Amino acid sequence: MRFMSVKLKEVNQMLHQMVVDFAEKEIKPLDMIIDKEQGYPKDLWDKIVQTGFLGLTVPYLYDGAQFDAVAEAQTIFDVASRNASVAFTLEGHYKAANQIIKYGNETLKKKYLPQANRRVFAFSSTEPQGGSNVLGLSGTAIKDGDCWVLNGNKSMITNGGLAEVYCVLLKTGPEEISCFVVDKEMIGFKYGKQEELFGMRGTPVGEIFLENVKVSEDHLLGTLGQGIEIGHNAHADARINMGAIAAGISEHALSIVLEYAKTRKALDTPIINLYSIQQKITEIAIAKENTQLLYEEAAKLKDSGKPYDRVATMAKSYGSRASFDACDHALQVLGGYGYSTEYPVEHLLRDARALQIAEGSLEKMVIEIAQAVVKERE
Amino acid sequence: MMSLHIVVCIKQVPVSNNLKIDPVTKNVIRSDAQGMMNPFDKNAIEAALDLKERHDGEVTLLSMGPKNFEITLREGLAMGADRAILLSSRAFGGADTLATGYVLSEAIKKIGNVDLIFFGRQSIDADTGQVGPIVAEFLDMPQATYIHEINPVQNGKILATRLMENMEQVIEVELPAVITVRSELNEPRYPTLRNIQKSYQKEVEVWDENQLAADPNRIGIKGSPTIVRKVWTPENQKKVAESLGNHPDAAVQKLLEILRDKNIL
Repeated sequence: MRFMSVKLKEVNQMLHQMVVDFAEKEIKPLDMIIDKEQGYPKDLWDKIVQTGFLGLTVPYLYDGAQFDAVAEAQTIFDVASRNASVAFTLEGHYKAANQIIKYGNETLKKKYLPQANRRVFAFSSTEPQGGSNVLGLSGTAIKDGDCWVLNGNKSMITNGGLAEVYCVLLKTGPEEISCFVVDKEMIGFKYGKQEELFGMRGTPVGEIFLENVKVSEDHLLGTLGQGIEIGHNAHADARINMGAIAAGISEHALSIVLEYAKTRKALDTPIINLYSIQQKITEIAIAKENTQLLYEEAAKLKDSGKPYDRVATMAKSYGSRASFDACDHALQVLGGYGYSTEYPVEHLLRDARALQIAEGSLEKMVIEIAQAVVKERE
Repeated sequence: MMSLHIVVCIKQVPVSNNLKIDPVTKNVIRSDAQGMMNPFDKNAIEAALDLKERHDGEVTLLSMGPKNFEITLREGLAMGADRAILLSSRAFGGADTLATGYVLSEAIKKIGNVDLIFFGRQSIDADTGQVGPIVAEFLDMPQATYIHEINPVQNGKILATRLMENMEQVIEVELPAVITVRSELNEPRYPTLRNIQKSYQKEVEVWDENQLAADPNRIGIKGSPTIVRKVWTPENQKKVAESLGNHPDAAVQKLLEILRDKNIL
């Protein structure tokens, strides 16, 4: 029985069982292929869309499944423990769709939320010149009658290239950031280069160019100048799921280590009986379960309408380092097989490394957590 | 094409490593066992949904058991079934295959206007495979069991292929009919995420003996002539394997010696 800090409500339990069943049969067998081929086989992606994974958080009213944050994070964990890239793509999609759910006007919701059940969405703030400093963005949106004219270059977008709809942070004034929804079908929208990355190689990461893209007023997400808040909210959402991906990677590493250590022998005994191996198993298990406690707590806080950004940031911050260490321990247990590209552990280590960068660098997390801790004790 | 009303009878079975037997009644304790849908029943639901998609119509799920069987019916609703009925009452408890078949057939009569009744080939806990055929007999319907290929309904008849150990039989049955299916028939669909949520917005109807026109003497323990004398877990006998080595000639010599020692040769 797998550790779980929250008792799932019955409908979430059924979702969990289905996701585990799906991920075991459809995703797990393709884990190595996804890393080597740097993408998802079409059949797999079609099944993911047909089964309705993209619409997990989309309200029922817009043909979605309307699951809560606990279910969302549980799904990300269940997928990530078979392949982290698929989970990362879902995370990127949920992050963007969730902002339209929360901040979108009725016209935007009616138009795009039903599409979020079948088309991939992405959230983009980073530009080639900078990432974390949102006020330093150079992309612009300029009012032209009833429309907005968008210009800019966004890079390092999770799902960039695969995604067809983007939430984009742009400057609407010298000190004002707003968020717009753009569609790849719009005139002036162009895809840029796809990144060649160290880990999470199944997840496409790419750039987009907006060259005089004209959008109607209703494509403004939230209100004018609300971009920083939306960006912050998107990060908080994403960090719950980044914790779930981290815990999923640790779970994946743990399952490989246990299987190997039970059968691999040294001195006529399975190595699982050796203290040095047990120590590593313990470290991996603690890494996984501590991360689970954090992201599940953040998800519960979100579902109950309480502030969750601090715990979500902790889930990502702790989880990203803990999962990397967990994979390193796993690699050591498997020795040469751990280091070989014919076996999955080395790609888990590469995948885990991405978590210290994506959705805010570890260093940025440190500042945010420290500020939050100081503030709450003032 | 005719619109079809299909009933699928499904059963919740205990997760196999979690099985407890009542020491007195020798029945499986179902109330506290962690349950799952009998795997063959998923094939039965898939077959029904596939026919519904070809012909249009309605799929009703039917099960008998304690209230916690509801979750299994919801899983069937999440696959795409339209309606779910749970036959649940203390009076139905302790039923053998005959009493179960009788109660199910009475419920099917009450549902009314049924064209096809699907079952999984057998349950993985009791393994009898009897309930489907018993229901067919009670309802006086033709039956096709162990089906692994099925064609759309034509002129009120259905053509299906029955897979036995050493042969296949192609059977044509007139509707209404009872069909039990093998796992080779299809690959059950995953419930979609939206349908999982939807399944919790639908009501699972619960019927007891008062809603059926059933003879009280033919239901539950009273209606069950089967008596289980003893149920036990067989001892796990450890056997030792002996290697005959890598050289074929020496291995043959050794094998002959062993067989002679045991007076087999």
